[in-house]
Amino acid sequence: MSEPERRHFDEIEIGEEYESPGRTVTEADIVMFAGLSGDYNVLHTDAEFMKSSIFGERIAHGLLGLAIQSGLLTRGMRPYETIAFMGLRWKFKGPIKIGDTIRVQAKVVGKKETSKADRGVITLSRQVINQRGEVVQEGETDVMVARRQ
Amino acid sequence: MTVADLTYFEDLVQGALVESPGLTITETHIIQFQRLTGDWLTGGGGAVPDLLPLCISSGLGWRIAQPLLAVLAFLGFDWQFLRPLSVGDTIWSRSATLSKRAMREGGIVVESRDIVNQRDEIVQAGRLTLLVAKRPVAVA
Repeated sequence: MSEPERRHFDEIEIGEEYESPGRTVTEADIVMFAGLSGDYNVLHTDAEFMKSSIFGERIAHGLLGLAIQSGLLTRGMRPYETIAFMGLRWKFKGPIKIGDTIRVQAKVVGKKETSKADRGVITLSRQVINQRGEVVQEGETDVMVARRQ
Repeated sequence: MTVADLTYFEDLVQGALVESPGLTITETHIIQFQRLTGDWLTGGGGAVPDLLPLCISSGLGWRIAQPLLAVLAFLGFDWQFLRPLSVGDTIWSRSATLSKRAMREGGIVVESRDIVNQRDEIVQAGRLTLLVAKRPVAVA
């Protein structure tokens, strides 16, 4: 299997939209993320404690949702010829619970030239949406993408 | 059994620096992260996926010399990726309370956080907005 051809800065247009497949977030995802990150906050790991919280049950780490959406969106678009991930601005708007199914909708909202002629910055706005159509996370990501030589 | 004390909204002092111990990023971390995210495009050739140090920094905050922060919710953050990391690099985090604002339930805290490598270079940095619990009133 060959990798899909990566897209350059020149070919990407403002207004392009991408949509990922869905993914059901499981208890195993949360357990693995707690182990990997070392974040064992009761919000994510203590089912009994969380019964009496406003959420009623354990919720996924916010950063787990962010990490999962980054992988999901790679399945909904042809990859860019990315030089570097520059930064992001992100809001956690609602909980992701065990069994929720999330997907990502994204749109190109910015295309900026830089002082270097061989590259530019693409800004994507992203929304993470659950099975009820609620936006649980959203934000913008900036990536440095190579121009076609 | 006693429940460990927490750092509550009232306990946070604006500007006080909190430094974590370090953690060396290994091939194992990268493979686990790739499996979890399903993103196989990043993390090749010993490069560390950009979101991984950020995720690890949330656990580094558990190993600092003060009780765990009583976070009710992580509301959002702005973040910059300044330098790439490779397998074998060791990171630690340095954070400070930039501002705090009391609400009826808990308070909003803006925290600045730098992730620093073994050469004392800042590799990632940003600001996190957290909802932190107030100290519960003791019941007599």
